[in-house]
Amino acid sequence: MTHPAAVAPTVLRPRWVVGGVVAVAVALVLGLTVGAVSLPVSGVVGELLSHLPFVGSKSSLSAPQAAIVTELRLPRVVLGLLVGALLASAGACYQGVFRNPLVDPYLLGAAAGAGLAVTVVIISVTAATGSAGLPLAAFAGALGAVGLSWFVGRAGGRRSAASLLLAGIAITSFLTAIQTYLQQRNSDTIRQVYSWILGRLTTADWGDVLLVLPYFLITAAVLLAHRRVLDVLAVGDEEAAALGVPVARTRLVLVATASMATAAAVSVSGLIAFVGIIIPHAVRLATGSSYRIIIPLSILYGAAFLALADLVARTALAPAEIPIGVVTAFVGAPFFILVLRTSPEGRA
Amino acid sequence: MKFRTSLLFALLVALCVSLGATPAGAARSEASNADRKIVSLSPTATEMLFAIGAGDQVVAVDEQSNYPTDAPVTDLSGIDVNAEAIAGYKADLVVAQDDTAKGALDALGIKLLVLPAANRLSETYAQLRKLGKATGHVDEAAAVVTKMTADLAGLRAEVPDSSSKPRTFYELDDTLYSATSKTFIGQLLRQAGFRNIADAAAEEGSGYPQLSSEYVVDANPAVIFLADTKCCGQTAATVAQRPGFDTIAAVTKGHVVTLDDDVASRWGPRVVELFRELVRANQAL
Amino acid sequence: MAVLAAAGIVADLGGARILDGVDLTVASGGWVSIVGPNGAGKTTLVRVLAGALAPREGRVLVDGDDVRGLRTRERARRIALVPQTPVIPVGVSTLDYVLLGRTPHMPFFGSESSDDVGRAHGMLERLGVGALAGRSVESCSGGERQRVFLARALAQEAPILLLDEPTTALDIGHQQEVLDLVDGLRAEQGIAVVSTMHDLTLAGLYADELVLLGGGRIVERGPAEEVLTEETLRRHFGARVSVLPGAHGPVVVPHRAPGKAG
Repeated sequence: MTHPAAVAPTVLRPRWVVGGVVAVAVALVLGLTVGAVSLPVSGVVGELLSHLPFVGSKSSLSAPQAAIVTELRLPRVVLGLLVGALLASAGACYQGVFRNPLVDPYLLGAAAGAGLAVTVVIISVTAATGSAGLPLAAFAGALGAVGLSWFVGRAGGRRSAASLLLAGIAITSFLTAIQTYLQQRNSDTIRQVYSWILGRLTTADWGDVLLVLPYFLITAAVLLAHRRVLDVLAVGDEEAAALGVPVARTRLVLVATASMATAAAVSVSGLIAFVGIIIPHAVRLATGSSYRIIIPLSILYGAAFLALADLVARTALAPAEIPIGVVTAFVGAPFFILVLRTSPEGRA
Repeated sequence: MKFRTSLLFALLVALCVSLGATPAGAARSEASNADRKIVSLSPTATEMLFAIGAGDQVVAVDEQSNYPTDAPVTDLSGIDVNAEAIAGYKADLVVAQDDTAKGALDALGIKLLVLPAANRLSETYAQLRKLGKATGHVDEAAAVVTKMTADLAGLRAEVPDSSSKPRTFYELDDTLYSATSKTFIGQLLRQAGFRNIADAAAEEGSGYPQLSSEYVVDANPAVIFLADTKCCGQTAATVAQRPGFDTIAAVTKGHVVTLDDDVASRWGPRVVELFRELVRANQAL
Repeated sequence: MAVLAAAGIVADLGGARILDGVDLTVASGGWVSIVGPNGAGKTTLVRVLAGALAPREGRVLVDGDDVRGLRTRERARRIALVPQTPVIPVGVSTLDYVLLGRTPHMPFFGSESSDDVGRAHGMLERLGVGALAGRSVESCSGGERQRVFLARALAQEAPILLLDEPTTALDIGHQQEVLDLVDGLRAEQGIAVVSTMHDLTLAGLYADELVLLGGGRIVERGPAEEVLTEETLRRHFGARVSVLPGAHGPVVVPHRAPGKAG
């Protein structure tokens, strides 16, 4: 038996972090070198190096090829990393707040709200404005829906996590019903709406990256700061309060942060499913239930996972693109079946 | 009893045969076709009907039929066909793109003529002739076909002769769906002297592959045709803003051609206008 | 000097009046045990004392401060609560669980120091479950768990300890161990203890003062000898008992129904 004093509290092991960083690096490298158009690896490396100051190398690629690397692949891969990190960390946070390992970031209505807002914009705005207003609509819709769930969940003085969850389910159903009705009445817009809903990084550019980056930095900082607090919340509202955590206020901060992360992700990439559940859950199964581990690793592995999924989405049937939500679902469903069959009793 | 029944039956048959066979009957059916009231649920058919001179017989057209502008537009839908609503117009003939409404229209005693989207020019001509017959405008229909054939041949002669055909990207929507040479528009592009970059992208399949930005940038087409100006707001300016597209020859040299979505998707009389745009684009290179 | 003083507590739960005018004081180093039949409101009273439930009337003062007015963190530093059925988190080791008790002493966004870890280990050792430090809480037996729950509360190092049925799952030996430990701590560190207990004899053995809760009010109050009388127990519990004088306090002995020969 281990000597008791040698037992240490659960901490983030460096090797897991290194693994995460390596995964991100691999996703980045593969994402830049592999694609619908095959480019020589040396050419890609040369192109990237030529952009670094003080390194005097020149690129061997033609202008269109260089554009593929720096204007198409690089922002897309970076965006995939950011969106994956946002969704996975938001999912992990929600799982901690609601004490339920099967919760995803769209639970409080973010997906339904964004979908409805996008549908309304596509229907009512003429084609002249194109798709310029969609990211803003998606962001506002997502946050609006979560806010609505928050207020409905608090009605009558109830402040529990369970009532918030129920409100989220109700709001989601309601908004989805409205969206479906609108699509029925405007069936010529269905294709456009669905192509957004299934999620895509196809139109990623540096503008999107800059849009999302501040949200990533802020939400990651807040969630990382709260990782121990999420562990305390695991013992329930009353006990957590007895241990000194201001539960209602903390829950508000956490839900707001995770919702903002989800809204930012959804606004640039549509609704990508499964990332927010699979990654935190996989981390939990591999390393245990402490959010001190789950939050940072969700950020790293969520980023790598989505960037790699996007790689598959754009190369499996090149030059056609599989919507990325389809790829993550293809991975997600077998993953859950595997989890069901192999998890030992007592490990959720 | 048996003898009398069979006699009655024979008389009945004789009556029917005699009625159907009279030359007067045949002439009547041609003339009566010209009195038919028509509902068109297909924008292409609407254009055809007006082109062959049957426009005054058209009592209602679907909401998408926006050409010619004096067509009697209603809020009938060509996709969700509502037989009751059609019956309200007291039509004798309905022209539609598919036969989903056949059962309901049969029950109402309304004739249905199905004209799906043509796959090649010969089908377009055949459709024009069919409409000519169904509306009693056979000669006008033949004249339209003759003119179209002549105009197209004339335009074909103007296509610049070049040993290396310029590459083109034909954009159907803003998610980069395109059309291969198997399709109607693909054939027109080929006849206009272009090489279609979508051909390499789909060996099997529907003829409408989705391309990726990388693929289009790498293919570096000399001309880009936009068939999504109305539906999706695409212009030369929006195309130039897409990441990586500013390196494409078509963009840098100003050969991004905006087409009218409707003209570019209805295989009717205005195909000639479309072809003219394609040829002009090739000449401008 | 009363470190915990409740005055005129009226509390409702789910529309029903549970407590109807309760006063209770505990001095530093004192031990008050709340006894009473099921449904008398013992747990509700404990929650009000802990500041978890707001009373409709009355106040609870902790060292002179209204417990409801304290910030959550400050309250956690002054009061430690072991509820009757604590939540058992999944996949958490007993060491990590006890470390949760150090939360009010750690920076809000920080992590535990080696000092915190040392104290947590120490607390597990004192409760005889030191060897279970690496085991998950849910894999411990009922008795082991109850001691782990107590270890977490003790790790808070608060001057007031509220225990709701702390010994129900323990065998007689462990019951004594745990209560002896709490007794020792209050002597050593002047911790004020309020507990609820079903076992009347045990309650009387360790507490300075017993408080009998019946129908939402305090019906008897005082040292064990005064409160634990046959008449009182018959009236408020509906139980047939004899109360015998024991070496250290009254012993409550239940009777079988008359007519059933042994």
